[in-house]
Amino acid sequence: MSTAQRTALDLDRLRRERPRSRLARASLLGLVALVAYSWLGGDIALDDLFSTRRAENLARFLAVDAAPHALRGTDWGCSDWLAFAHGLWQDRGYAGLLQTLAISVLAIVLAGIAALGGAFLAARNVASPTPFGDAGRPGWPAWRVVAPLVRAWLVLLRAVPEYVWAFLLLAMLGPNAWPAVLALAIHNAGILGKLGAETVENLDPRPLSAWRSLGASRAQGAWLAALPLAANRYLLYFFYRFETCVREATVLGMLGVVSLGYWIQDSRAKQFYDEMLAFVVLGAGLVLAADLASALVRRALRRGA
Amino acid sequence: MSNPRPPPDPARRPFPVTPRVSVAASLLVAGLAAWLALDAPLARLVPESGGLAVAREFFAAALRPALDYEAPVPAGTPHILAQALAAARRTVVFATAAMSVALVLGIALGFLSTSAWWSGELSGGAGPLRRLCARTLGPTVWAAARLVIVVMRSVHELLWAVLFLAAFGLNTAGAVAAIAIPYGGTLAKIFSEMVEEAPRDAAWALRGAGATPLQVFVFGLVPRAAPDMAAYSFYRFECAVRSAAVLGFFGFPTLGYAIAQAFENLHYREVWTYLYALVALVLAIEAWSGALRRRFVA
Repeated sequence: MSTAQRTALDLDRLRRERPRSRLARASLLGLVALVAYSWLGGDIALDDLFSTRRAENLARFLAVDAAPHALRGTDWGCSDWLAFAHGLWQDRGYAGLLQTLAISVLAIVLAGIAALGGAFLAARNVASPTPFGDAGRPGWPAWRVVAPLVRAWLVLLRAVPEYVWAFLLLAMLGPNAWPAVLALAIHNAGILGKLGAETVENLDPRPLSAWRSLGASRAQGAWLAALPLAANRYLLYFFYRFETCVREATVLGMLGVVSLGYWIQDSRAKQFYDEMLAFVVLGAGLVLAADLASALVRRALRRGA
Repeated sequence: MSNPRPPPDPARRPFPVTPRVSVAASLLVAGLAAWLALDAPLARLVPESGGLAVAREFFAAALRPALDYEAPVPAGTPHILAQALAAARRTVVFATAAMSVALVLGIALGFLSTSAWWSGELSGGAGPLRRLCARTLGPTVWAAARLVIVVMRSVHELLWAVLFLAAFGLNTAGAVAAIAIPYGGTLAKIFSEMVEEAPRDAAWALRGAGATPLQVFVFGLVPRAAPDMAAYSFYRFECAVRSAAVLGFFGFPTLGYAIAQAFENLHYREVWTYLYALVALVLAIEAWSGALRRRFVA
């Protein structure tokens, strides 16, 4: 048998024995069908998007609405627009920007602290009845239910969208910064708690069992073995969620907390689209800066790991 | 003669200041500074009695979501469960349509913003065309694609929606575009990171066999990253469903619209009916992607 023939046979065998999954095929078919249905089912008015009315709308938005109100009809240039933007910045932009940043920072720090506790209590290798030798101590079987309970709690925290938390907290606490901060903190505590618990569960079990065999308690094991090993990855997740927090903090302002989103919504309601556009651009700049800062910190953390 | 104390060995400090310790400490300081910058007095954390009643009513309603409207509705309004189902269906439709566009955008931009296929790293020969690609064309395209991705990603989907509302008026395709743009950017970013970090074994083998850089990229690198890419796309689909639901707050006919209306009418039990529909949707997608993941990862 020549080499070429043997290669062909091998390829044939490889082809026959390639992993195949009925579930994957059915999923692919189902997804294709779902995409086709979503576009053709009549819910998405593509033809309306290209109608003359929409075209007129767009033309008016670009030509008239997006231009600064005071300058409309005049022959304005770049410096005029900068002056307009500078006025907005001094008037509301800077304060809104600062507010948005502060909301997201406080929210993610609170979420990070809360989720750290949740992560250990939800990790099945730390919060379980057996490994820490408390068998026989009063109340030890209670550890059997701790992890599932905390997990369910974390699911509840993150399953309710932050907007719903914000709506509810606004109704409870009235208009101040707490509803936005707490809504973001609660939702992100749920997410960080889950990610943290997974991190702790995936840790190398040897350091933990070494401390355990030395007689360390559960809390000591968590503090001395699990926390140092999990800290870097947890911080990576923390900064990843911080980026999301900055995005959401802008938007949550639309519900009534005075962040950039509030001014976006305010100018939208007044149909001051020139101001709205400027605030959206400002928010994008903040997101950009936060992403950059977070990426730098994450790179430093990876290197320090 | 007194014995001079030996300088402290940094490795034996009782509490070594590693990067992560300094990061954690500065985070606490940042949190404190943020709190001081905000109008967030601790006293306002205590809900007024009215607020407590609202919370109690809201969470009590969780245990008995509305199976019928809480107030009389105009004749001919479909049953609330039918209404929830229809809103859920539209939520999935919007999310699916947006994800289909986002995937196309993500794959195209992700490819353009990956350096592996043009940087000299994976290319064999060194013809003039190859060099032009690696020195000029590649980096230009790469930088342009990165810039586009950054712009797409830095505006939140709800703000895209607000922009499209202002530019086009209320149009369902605008909602789809509002989700598709930031999601496309995110997919592109993550896809390119996954491809750059994929194991290079197959790529080196193909390169050794004389494949062109593009062939190495398509047949050596992408398949190694494909399972991760698929899993991440599923996760984003889940997020897209949530985003589509939230777009309802701006008048698009998804679950969020029903939630906002029920909230405004103080019909908390109806709010929970729609919330449970949303949770069920997300859990169903999670179960689906989980089953697929177990099939491929395990």
